[in-house]
Amino acid sequence: MSTATASRAQLLSRMAAALLGGYGFAWGFIALGVATAFAAGMPFHDAEHLFSLLAFLLYLVTFLWSFAARDPRRVWLVLAGGGALMAALASLIQHVLV
Amino acid sequence: MFQNFRLAMAWVHTWFGLFLGFVLMVVFFFGSLSVFDREIDRWAIPESRFEPQPMPSYDEILKPVFEDMQPSKESVDQMRPRVDGPMPEHFDTPVRWGAYTTHRDPVLGLFAGYRVPNAKNPDELVWGTRTIDPRTGDALPDDQLKIGSRFFYPLHYSLNLHWMDLGYWIVGLAALIMLVALVTGVVMHRKLFRELFTFRPNKSKQRSILDLHNLTGVVALPFHFMFAFTGLVIFAGIYFPVTHTQLEPLHDLHEVVESQETGLPHESAGVPAPTASVDAMVAEAQRRWAARDMAGDVGFLALQHVGDANGYVSIYRAGTDRIALTGEGIHFKASTGEVLREDPPPSAVERIDEFLTGLHLQHFRHWLLRWLYVLGGLAGCACIATGFLFFVEKRKRQHAKRGQIGARVVDAMAVTTVTGMLIATLGMLIANRLLPTNLPARGDWEQYCFWGIWVLAMAHAFWRTAPVARARLAPAWGEQCWAIAVLAVAAVLLNWVTTGDHLLKTLSVGYWPVAGVDLFMLVGAVVAILAARRLKRRARPQPAASGELSGETAHA
Repeated sequence: MSTATASRAQLLSRMAAALLGGYGFAWGFIALGVATAFAAGMPFHDAEHLFSLLAFLLYLVTFLWSFAARDPRRVWLVLAGGGALMAALASLIQHVLV
Repeated sequence: MFQNFRLAMAWVHTWFGLFLGFVLMVVFFFGSLSVFDREIDRWAIPESRFEPQPMPSYDEILKPVFEDMQPSKESVDQMRPRVDGPMPEHFDTPVRWGAYTTHRDPVLGLFAGYRVPNAKNPDELVWGTRTIDPRTGDALPDDQLKIGSRFFYPLHYSLNLHWMDLGYWIVGLAALIMLVALVTGVVMHRKLFRELFTFRPNKSKQRSILDLHNLTGVVALPFHFMFAFTGLVIFAGIYFPVTHTQLEPLHDLHEVVESQETGLPHESAGVPAPTASVDAMVAEAQRRWAARDMAGDVGFLALQHVGDANGYVSIYRAGTDRIALTGEGIHFKASTGEVLREDPPPSAVERIDEFLTGLHLQHFRHWLLRWLYVLGGLAGCACIATGFLFFVEKRKRQHAKRGQIGARVVDAMAVTTVTGMLIATLGMLIANRLLPTNLPARGDWEQYCFWGIWVLAMAHAFWRTAPVARARLAPAWGEQCWAIAVLAVAAVLLNWVTTGDHLLKTLSVGYWPVAGVDLFMLVGAVVAILAARRLKRRARPQPAASGELSGETAHA
């Protein structure tokens, strides 16, 4: 693979990480935030508003980081892995509560 | 891959900014127009050119209108596949009635939702709407399109592309990219303070375009950031439907608790009951607001479970005197008029959310601030448009040398989304004045005109940007500027001819909604003529002045 195609593939990977990985990460963040805060006694809609508000700022940061980070594999690991982990934890908390 | 952080950010700024910039242009421009959406409605529907009215008496005006309403044909047709058996001819179980107004509305919009017998999901309703003159209760013709509040405004946040909510998602992505472009733009430049005061119109074209791009971006930076951010927050439920998918069980759990807490019945009782005087409830709500030192008018009035023993009336206050979008809702038992619940004061998070939402949606009464919103939005448009121009100017010589078409395509798209969009907008207003008043589905025709004219402008843009491929200025810009000037003047004249409301008249009686739209178009015409003349001067061959460009522009 030439360097040009390698860097094009890397660029596509970074774009996908920024858009999709960042979305998944933000999703997981909202889910975990809402579940935890609700479990801790925060009113449901407060938790919903608070964490979606913060999630957009987080999405902005992870988007930029996807391009700024040295290693795109690490970006994927943190965003997709972290997002899935947070979402799973949220479902777990919900399971306990409902 | 990227040599350093700044180059990575510059790449993101250039390419994401370019592709989503075409969407952002539409969002910023129609967002700016939406600040005066109700006023544009007045211009487009001459029958509604009178002073804003308060919420009329329910008992005398609204009740008979609601009783006369029926769901719309479209709503019934949409519902048909989700019903076992045939649809009834007449729907006689209204579940929800509502009326909504603002301090800028002469006419009043009503909606009604009806239960559908044998619906597969009994909670799903069919809906009807009506617009009335609140002084008499008379209906305005249904097919008159409120161009401002029902076309330009939804265009701003959904591109009027409703298939799978696709428009919302595209606009949401564009808003995220706006935030990204602002941050990366700041990273790229660093000399932020100096750029606030830098505009060199007489330097080379590329230099002055970049100055203008930086100036409009930096001057209104907090404005741009807040609007993109709050826009996302408003539709957070669409972009991240976490609590209606993954956390739905948790949401349902909370809803049961909530309806126990509020005491407002979620279901109807199935026992008919008469409705007490709603006017008395309104008076009580206003008395309670005044007692809280926030006397105000009714903005939104709704009846739930109409004519049922569980029915209740919710009355919300119009937020004309504050930024936060609050309702201070008070809920009454419909059959007796006793107060069921007064919405508690908002929590800290709610206050933040209401403030951010209200900041974007501006229900407040403050005309200077409204105009600042328009200017901020137009500064955003200028920032995006100069971004396109800089992209083209920077590359067109190189592309011409190599025989690439990139610069030409971007220039054509820029013409389409800048001047082409203005032409389509003016074309729609002209169609609004020219189409026969008795034309069936007149509002649909107005929309076809808008899109059709835009497509024509796009075709013209692609045709008349050919010289860009030879590194020259596209004649499309100047030609479309002239088109804007002609159309804007034509729209103002047509308003005069078809309604008799010329500027001298509307100005002398101070009817600002119509005078303002006319004046705004005339100013637009003047700006377009100045731009066209300047472009003509630019088009003359001049010695290339690319040598002085250095440093800052090299990485964009």
